[in-house]
Amino acid sequence: MSLSPYFKSPFTDLTGSIVNHQFFGKCRKFEERAIDCMEAYGLERGRRECKTLIEDFTECSLAHKRLARFEIMVKERDRQINAGERKKEDGYAPPPVIDSF
Amino acid sequence: MDSVTKRQEMPPDGGYKTIPFKRVPARQFFSGYALIGGYLGMTAGAAYIYYLNCLQVQKEEIELRSGRIAIEPLLKAERDREYLKQLRRNRDEEAKLMANVEGWKVGTLYGEPIFKTRPDAFIEPKFHEYYMHTDLWSQKLRQYFVWLS
Repeated sequence: MSLSPYFKSPFTDLTGSIVNHQFFGKCRKFEERAIDCMEAYGLERGRRECKTLIEDFTECSLAHKRLARFEIMVKERDRQINAGERKKEDGYAPPPVIDSF
Repeated sequence: MDSVTKRQEMPPDGGYKTIPFKRVPARQFFSGYALIGGYLGMTAGAAYIYYLNCLQVQKEEIELRSGRIAIEPLLKAERDREYLKQLRRNRDEEAKLMANVEGWKVGTLYGEPIFKTRPDAFIEPKFHEYYMHTDLWSQKLRQYFVWLS
């Protein structure tokens, strides 16, 4: 529940963060730093001061920028193929080795 | 028709053969105790041979397993090496693809780093990013179970 600084009760404390990235998550450090910063500055000021940390955390967990990059590049490749700048034969790169990911 | 005379059929001389109504038991090769004893003996012998076989199978399994464990680091190292090489290939491909796009910097979104607080960190790509520059079919081959591919 995200009501907590305005409306605080034992129940909001209990249900504050049931789901987080602290257990075996790749974004553990990002989340920890953002939450530490928020704890230091409080909610209103923390939103301004910890902006980059929070952005990094959301990028780590939701990958907005990476997906945007992906879409831009796929579109650019399609555009190049359709415009004839790229030949059909070497339109796409050869695939990686299948068990390397 | 006076020459035809009646003749009564009678039993042969000495009477009919006696009817064999007594039970004829089959010929017995083994007694019951011998059968049970033989069964137990053969089972014991077979169990011993089975035990020997089990020992050998276990030994072979252990050998196979230790072989797999022994080459596991090698396989993982090969995989990681190929992974890093492919990341480098992806980077070069991206540089080649976006060479004409204005303001594009490799590894960023129009010059904006993925993580602002750690711009030079190594970022593990998502699956789609890893297969970004290939055609869709080879991506699907890796992603799904494809029949008769």
